[in-house]
Amino acid sequence: MAARPAESEAMSVSEIALAEGKAANRRGAEFRRGLAAATPVLLGVVPYALVLGAQAAQRGLSVLEVPLMTGLNFAGGSEFAAIQLWTSPPHVLLIAAITLLVNSRHFLMGAALAPFIRHLPKRQVFPALFLMCDESWAVGLADAQRRATAGTRPAFSLPFYLGASLAVYLAWVAFTTCGAALGPVLGDVETYGFAMAFPAVFLGLLRGMWKGFAAARPWLVSLVAAALTYLLVPGAWYVAAGALSGLVAAWFLAGET
Amino acid sequence: MIDPMTMLAILAMAGVTYLTRIGGYVVLKNRALSPRATAVMEAAPGCVLISVIAPDFVSKNPADLAALAITLLAATRLSMLPTVVIGVASAGALRWLIG
Repeated sequence: MAARPAESEAMSVSEIALAEGKAANRRGAEFRRGLAAATPVLLGVVPYALVLGAQAAQRGLSVLEVPLMTGLNFAGGSEFAAIQLWTSPPHVLLIAAITLLVNSRHFLMGAALAPFIRHLPKRQVFPALFLMCDESWAVGLADAQRRATAGTRPAFSLPFYLGASLAVYLAWVAFTTCGAALGPVLGDVETYGFAMAFPAVFLGLLRGMWKGFAAARPWLVSLVAAALTYLLVPGAWYVAAGALSGLVAAWFLAGET
Repeated sequence: MIDPMTMLAILAMAGVTYLTRIGGYVVLKNRALSPRATAVMEAAPGCVLISVIAPDFVSKNPADLAALAITLLAATRLSMLPTVVIGVASAGALRWLIG
């Protein structure tokens, strides 16, 4: 009689261990799926990282300061803008304001992600959001939308997102540092056509979000508004102008039905 | 190797950027959206993506414009990796051919 509770306990412990092992395997598989999804994205990230590192070194940032910037800030667009405006010593407020302007799209990106990550504990969400860049956000959100359509629960796979975003993060920090170290040896990598990797990735992601022409009308408004702003207004305003125009269009079009 | 003013500027950038990353989530996490606001949020990801790459659509370089058209066509038919490979290869080839 005395052996029975111990036996059942031992069984439940081994069952728990088995379940945990399965969950860990699933997390590992999801993490690797995220790494694989990030691979085409890296083709676009690596050349940009080399160029940014080389430009930063030209502006007088050291091989230690470059990974400090790209590792703590980790938002390429704002880093390119900051480097263009870099002086010695830098204007801290100007750099911070430009960073806010270029990265204001993150508010929208986080808002789009919110319904998918609402159920996760804050101790997971806040570190995960540190890694949210254009690429990892788009890959993670596209995957969550696909899984939601297929009925998979939960729709948002955190290990998948972490796999994709850590791959981009490590590549960004490592290759900006390489760019700073190699600097002038590289020359202009833009001439090799790698600049097209970035729009190609984004077009591929848009295709994944495509739900018919009617749903895509705000995108068209964004494209036209952003392109016109880019041509007419200097600086990085075009992202904010394009995104907001599209949202206003979506607001009015939603009233149609 | 690390200049104090540079460090300060980098920390300011990092702080501002992190606030933009958590802002949308913090504001929306406990809120149910109206159908209209939901329609706007559904359009938002595409609007941001297309706005970021809008300058490529008005490039002054004919080789890049042609490569973008090829990439766009590839994106409608193929998955991500072949799209990117075709994009980079066509941009490289067209720049070499027509500069």
